[in-house]
Amino acid sequence: MIKSLNAYFQKNEVAAWVLLLPSMFCLAIFLFIPLIMSFGLAFFDINIFLKDAKFVLFDNFIELMNDERFWNALGNTVYFTLMVVPVGVIFSLIVALLVSGNTLFNKLVRVVYYLPVICSMTAIGIMWAVLLDPAIGMFAYWLRVLGFKNVQLLKDPDLAMPLVAVMTIWKSFGQNMIIFVAGIQSIPNDFYDASMIDGASRWKQFFYITLPSLVPVLGFCTITSTIGSFMVFDQTYVMTRGGPMFRTETLVQYVYTRGFIVSPFRLGYASAAAFMLFIVIAAITMLMYQFFMKKEAKGL
Amino acid sequence: MKSLSRRKTTGNIIYLLFMVILLAAVVYPFLWLFLSSLKFETDIVQYPPKLWPSQFTSSQYVTVWDRLPLFTMFKNTLLFSSAVTVSNCLLCAMGGYAFARMNFRGKKTIFVIILFTMMIPFQIIMIPLYILEHFTGILDTYWGLILPRLTWPFAIYLLRSFFVSLPKNLEEAARIDGANEYRIFWQIMLPLCKSALLSVGIMTFTNNWNDLVYPLLLTNSVRMRTLSAGLAMFIGQRIIEYGPTLAASMISLIPLLIAFVFLQKYFVQGIAFSGLKG
Repeated sequence: MIKSLNAYFQKNEVAAWVLLLPSMFCLAIFLFIPLIMSFGLAFFDINIFLKDAKFVLFDNFIELMNDERFWNALGNTVYFTLMVVPVGVIFSLIVALLVSGNTLFNKLVRVVYYLPVICSMTAIGIMWAVLLDPAIGMFAYWLRVLGFKNVQLLKDPDLAMPLVAVMTIWKSFGQNMIIFVAGIQSIPNDFYDASMIDGASRWKQFFYITLPSLVPVLGFCTITSTIGSFMVFDQTYVMTRGGPMFRTETLVQYVYTRGFIVSPFRLGYASAAAFMLFIVIAAITMLMYQFFMKKEAKGL
Repeated sequence: MKSLSRRKTTGNIIYLLFMVILLAAVVYPFLWLFLSSLKFETDIVQYPPKLWPSQFTSSQYVTVWDRLPLFTMFKNTLLFSSAVTVSNCLLCAMGGYAFARMNFRGKKTIFVIILFTMMIPFQIIMIPLYILEHFTGILDTYWGLILPRLTWPFAIYLLRSFFVSLPKNLEEAARIDGANEYRIFWQIMLPLCKSALLSVGIMTFTNNWNDLVYPLLLTNSVRMRTLSAGLAMFIGQRIIEYGPTLAASMISLIPLLIAFVFLQKYFVQGIAFSGLKG
């Protein structure tokens, strides 16, 4: 009996590894090795031709500290995130609250709001770049009709990033909305019934039932949105190419430009910048995670 | 009582107004894109701009077909996304199943590592990956596009959550009948998660179809470009012709929009699930 049980567990363990091996193998080669390499590369002076690599210790990082374009890109990325994440998450939540009931109309509306999410940022970016074009775009025309003069939109250094942010929220609010709707629908109805008997108003229901129940979902949406925003690239690459006057150049774009577009294609230096980005994201994710864990424990 | 019902109607009116405005804001750009792709260039650049074309034409689609290797781009995108989707569904289901329903040493540690890798965006490892592909000689090939995406930690995580939720006695009956672990997985468990697999597959397919940085970095010849990367390069040449650009954007959107019409439930399901389990 003992022997056969033992044999069974061994078989089970072997079977587990057989099932696991292909995916673990791929992850090891295409995720772990690059990840470890990315830490190492930042300490080398190496270009895209991958010849004459030189170990330079912290030189890349020291140079980054004095690199105005790096700080500019970091600033732009943070600015973008500060616009997209709070506004985007709160807006998605509001919309989700409005359409969470399973009426036919709401179901249809949810599908429509999800439409931009499945589209490629490249195509959507091109579409909005033309719509927001100061010369031929619809929006410039409408603004002029409304009496605005000197409408520059995407060509305006101060307006470009906020416009990219608004467009990003337009494209992606449907995603968080769907997650919130699922979250709202999973709150047991008894909670609301009980509070009705106690005579709670709808605002009270929202702040004492809905919102506390949504803390984990809220945390998930905020953290994933933040990571996504720090990685922003497609929108600015397609719509503005980092302009005007580098005001929409983001960190990923800077890494890409430094490593692959501008001679001498300094991969080591670009890696150092990417490494900094990783540190920033890791720190922010940890902080947010702890914040939401505490909120969840305390029940907001 | 009367004031309450009046408040309710005002609330309803505000709700409806908000919905109508938001619906218009979401639909209008798509409508404009579609109609503009059917305009002549003079119609597109006219001022003041008009939504409705003064004359319909398919010439922009013909032009972009000549100007861009659209067929090749389409083929590349389809091949890349499909291959990655199939392999993701299979490998991640196997991995997720092992984590969910089997015991082995180091399971917890490995799973924590998977959770950690889920948080690492591609952009962080793009330079080393480029170097890796350069040295293995798969840069700018289908292999170079497909191999790094064979598995997706997030899919492993999602499918694990699904397998965990299945009742235990399912496999016990099969085990008594003498089925081995692989048969239990393949013939009993896998068929049960068809809809979860469909969701994961759709997510993988959409993500890869739409991806920009990844194919931009790992391909550099015209014959390997995907739709997203090719389009981005096309507008990067700065000789702006609006008509063909808009037509090409439309073409890149159409396949997913059609898929969405038929499979919207599965598009949404995976996303919703990820938030609740996350």
